[in-house]
Amino acid sequence: MSLNWSCLLGAEKHIRSFRNKSFHIRTLGAAVSILLWIGCNRQAAPPSALAIAFEVTPQPVHVGPVTVDFTLTDAASRSVTGAHLTTEADMTHAGMSPVFATVDERQPGRYESALKLDMAGDWVIQLHGTLSTGEKLERQFELRNVRPN
Amino acid sequence: MNLNSIPQPEDEVPAIDLMKVPILGALFRWRYARPLLQAPLLIVSVLMILHGLFGPTLAPKNLATTLSWLHFRGALVLVILCAGNFFCLACPFMLVRQMARKIFQPRWNWPRMLRNKWLSVGLFILILFLYELFDLWSSPWWTAWLIIAYFGSVLLVDGLFKHASFCKFVCPIGQFNFIASTLSPFEVKVREQSVCTSCETKDCIRGRREAASDLVVIRGCELALFQPRKVGNMDCTFCLDCVHACPHDNIGILSRLPGSELLTDPLRSGIGYFSKRKDLAVLAIVFSFGALMNAFGMVSPVYAVERWLGRVLGVSHEAPVLAAIFALVIIVEPILLLGIAAWLSRAWASTKRSLLPLAVRYSYGLVPLGFGMWLAHYGFHFLSGLYTIVPVTQSAVASLGHAFLGEPRWRLTGLPPNLVQVIEIGFLLLGFAGSLTITHGLAAEDSPSQTLRMFLPWAAVCAILWISAMWLIFQPMEMRAMLMSG
Repeated sequence: MSLNWSCLLGAEKHIRSFRNKSFHIRTLGAAVSILLWIGCNRQAAPPSALAIAFEVTPQPVHVGPVTVDFTLTDAASRSVTGAHLTTEADMTHAGMSPVFATVDERQPGRYESALKLDMAGDWVIQLHGTLSTGEKLERQFELRNVRPN
Repeated sequence: MNLNSIPQPEDEVPAIDLMKVPILGALFRWRYARPLLQAPLLIVSVLMILHGLFGPTLAPKNLATTLSWLHFRGALVLVILCAGNFFCLACPFMLVRQMARKIFQPRWNWPRMLRNKWLSVGLFILILFLYELFDLWSSPWWTAWLIIAYFGSVLLVDGLFKHASFCKFVCPIGQFNFIASTLSPFEVKVREQSVCTSCETKDCIRGRREAASDLVVIRGCELALFQPRKVGNMDCTFCLDCVHACPHDNIGILSRLPGSELLTDPLRSGIGYFSKRKDLAVLAIVFSFGALMNAFGMVSPVYAVERWLGRVLGVSHEAPVLAAIFALVIIVEPILLLGIAAWLSRAWASTKRSLLPLAVRYSYGLVPLGFGMWLAHYGFHFLSGLYTIVPVTQSAVASLGHAFLGEPRWRLTGLPPNLVQVIEIGFLLLGFAGSLTITHGLAAEDSPSQTLRMFLPWAAVCAILWISAMWLIFQPMEMRAMLMSG
């Protein structure tokens, strides 16, 4: 019995091509799965024992100067004093000019920042700085529905 | 195919042929020009996806949102205005598709019943709607998933269907580019019709084939645009396949009067007659009124309208209220305005055309106004946030532990708002002038003896849209991530 080698070679090529395809499919599938898994399981930053109360005046908030008060307390509800902080306010849309301000400690554990909001809409206020212990502090607060004048 | 029957336009000497510009022409003639232009955009797209998924959650700090909603959109409309549809040329989705087609060969032709713009117009409206509903501009995560979904859709559609089915029949960005590029100063066009008349191979559409095997070695137009009969930029992705396939080097990127293709209604290869394409007319309408809707979603009065509608409809959820606003602006308003204008022009100029063909024909005249509004809106974000890419990139690099770009300079934003507003007004005036010119040109052709009577109702529609657009850009901006709040 004679073997048809060309037929066998063709079959092998076909199988190899199929294997290549299935390899590509598996690779693509794995990449998408990893992306999905990581993207959907993004961990939020571990909650710190530090509690921050956030208040904006005057209410309702309009475009223009506002005062933002932050009250910092630790796990035992003691005031956290001596922190060096700054604030940054950003619109929720990219491309708008951020607003920066310093933060002063008015009373023990009570910090105040004067911001000038120049656009109506939703803002995000970020508090950056370091505590007296040297621990870094990064928090984000939403300030929704700032109204036009 | 007998090309002797093709009407030969008067020989014109084009002012500029980009294919003959040193360096640029050589680049475009190079067969791998497209992948070369696509590769950087693909890398940027991947970076945007990664930063969108894993980077900062605040939109102004993230590459996905900053690049998508500021730089990409702004650069796209400005490049279309100043040159042509070069973003489709450099489309990163098509590079991935090309790579995928080395593994999978599509088997089917795009279904006959879907060979029109209805699906893509629907997707265009859907994206505009989802953009407002989910505040895509404020979410790097959703923006990243939108890009991933786009890559997935391209792979799915062009993995199953032959030719450039995704570009021609599905891609909402592509349709935006096609209709906007009718106003571009350049088009891919044959240099001399006589050369095409004597051409026997028609490689520009069939592809260049290997003599022995008849296998295609250089692709012809995948969007079914036969160069000698192609008119204007509609459906042209500037992919330059025809340029590379033409054995006579007879295809250039030629300058022309922007918008001139909207003034005429010849039989167009791969398209037909504009006046008989209701789907294209609806695309033009959605493009024009959608521009107003998209800008309206960013100004203060939209919230008052939305609260009032919420009370009237008795709903507190955003989706039905937003759907009602969309229906009013994109469906009811155009039907009313175009219907009344068609009825008036028919009555005053005693034309024999019925209302629908009139509305279809003149809807293309609104495209310049729509483009003016897109330019004003996207141009505003692009120019006022032009430099924000610098601190966002610095921050992204710094987050990887590399400080060689320095501390992020968050105070870098863009051009001053007063200057940007003057530019916005300029775009709107340009669009208004373009729409008046085109509707007047159509009116002069339709009713040479009563041009003014034919033109006035359409001029009134243009004026209403222009006044609306001007009013919009003077409204205080109010960017909320929650439409129904407050």
